[in-house]
Amino acid sequence: MSEALVDLRRAGRVGVSAVLLITLSLTALGGFWLLSLNLGRAVAQWRDRVRVVVFLKDEPTPSALADLTSRVEGLDGVYRVRYVSKAEALSSLRQSLGAQSGVVDHLPRNPLPASLEVTPAEGATTPEATRALAAKLAAFPETEEVQGGAEWVEGLARWQRLFQVVALAVGAVLALAAILTVTTATTLVLHARRAETEVMRLVGASESVVRVPQLLQGMVQGLLGAVVALGLLEVAYAVGAPRLEPLLQLTLGLARAVFLSLPQILLLIAGGAILGGLGGLLARGRAVA
Amino acid sequence: MKLPALNDVSFTVDKGEFVVLSGASGAGKTTLLRLLYADEQASEGDIEVAGFDVTALRRSEIPLLRRSLGIVFQDAKLLAGRTVFENIAFVLRVLGAARHEITPKAFQALKAVGLSTRAQAYPAQLSQGEAQRVALARAIVKSPALLLADEPTGNLDEEMAGEIIDLIKDIWSRGTTVLFATHQSRLAAQLKRRTLRLDSGVLTKDEG
Repeated sequence: MSEALVDLRRAGRVGVSAVLLITLSLTALGGFWLLSLNLGRAVAQWRDRVRVVVFLKDEPTPSALADLTSRVEGLDGVYRVRYVSKAEALSSLRQSLGAQSGVVDHLPRNPLPASLEVTPAEGATTPEATRALAAKLAAFPETEEVQGGAEWVEGLARWQRLFQVVALAVGAVLALAAILTVTTATTLVLHARRAETEVMRLVGASESVVRVPQLLQGMVQGLLGAVVALGLLEVAYAVGAPRLEPLLQLTLGLARAVFLSLPQILLLIAGGAILGGLGGLLARGRAVA
Repeated sequence: MKLPALNDVSFTVDKGEFVVLSGASGAGKTTLLRLLYADEQASEGDIEVAGFDVTALRRSEIPLLRRSLGIVFQDAKLLAGRTVFENIAFVLRVLGAARHEITPKAFQALKAVGLSTRAQAYPAQLSQGEAQRVALARAIVKSPALLLADEPTGNLDEEMAGEIIDLIKDIWSRGTTVLFATHQSRLAAQLKRRTLRLDSGVLTKDEG
């Protein structure tokens, strides 16, 4: 390890460039990861809220309601059914109107239909599944109209997937650049160390003893880059999250943005070490060649 | 057309022997030594060194062979950024010697070449003769079975060369087999040991 640290000092500016490039690639990767993570939470949250509402032609009698509820519950992909009577619907309207709720009192009669609020089962919240469920519910003779679905949630999910792809693409390009820079830095060090390497080989040092410092040098660069990247992400999160949260609440219904979890942080650090290690290994290959 | 550097060379060196390998520059002495420590591969034939079948060695086994050899060159090949002591200790360290063994063994090797007082000097502060003695200390610190010396006196004046030869004889007298390559025929004659002579890659003499 001490050899690796000495080598890193010897690498000078090229070594610093390698650390910076790893920092850049992991910051970009981590940034996209944070966005994707929070979008994913929004998608999960909204998937939980997907409802299909069946407006009924007439308010059913208790026995008809029991029969209808049991038929709906018997459908595939239905998790829960809640009946909303005309009176409950009007009460909800009143509540949502708040200060203007007096308007409701001027209505000659309750115009709101009774309805069934159907919660799809887990795994049945995709647009296809909710469309299929809506079609089955629309076929019931008691049904006036069916509303609701998961299209926009899927739109959100598509954005999340897009973020993941962009993160991977940008991360891969930057990671490649980082590997090449680490390779160059380690190759320069190898050049400076060739006398030592020659002596090591002549006296019979095993290849692992000759090569491990090169691998460690790359890994140290990677670890440094990862730690700096995490620091930058943490600062960006601490500064940006309080400012963005009102917008997230308004648009996505997310009360707060979360940071990477401990396993994700460790994964990012390990990613840095692997990037650096790869650079060191490639340099070894070039030096041997 | 490719000409072989060595052709039809066959000899055996017994354990504990001191053998001189002589020949003009370019005769193939260095190539022969490189074949012995597996730095070159023979296109044909068999080579056995210190119990290792060198021609059949896998790349990963080469370090095992070299651990049983001590090798010195015309150029001492000392590490400029390390002191004399560190140059010796470096070898022990990379060979995985126990930490508590390194200092006494390194000093013992320096004592054997008469340089224990120069332990903290850097290679640039040494004379050529001293540098070569450090190279010898580095070669013997791991107690090799065979010492390969490739023109170790080639850069030295007569007096320094004599000192190095005395040291090599001393190492040999303690049981290490020595193969000493030199282009100086007068020196080869003075050594009064078995001499293998190479001319243009061919072994022309084996006597003594």
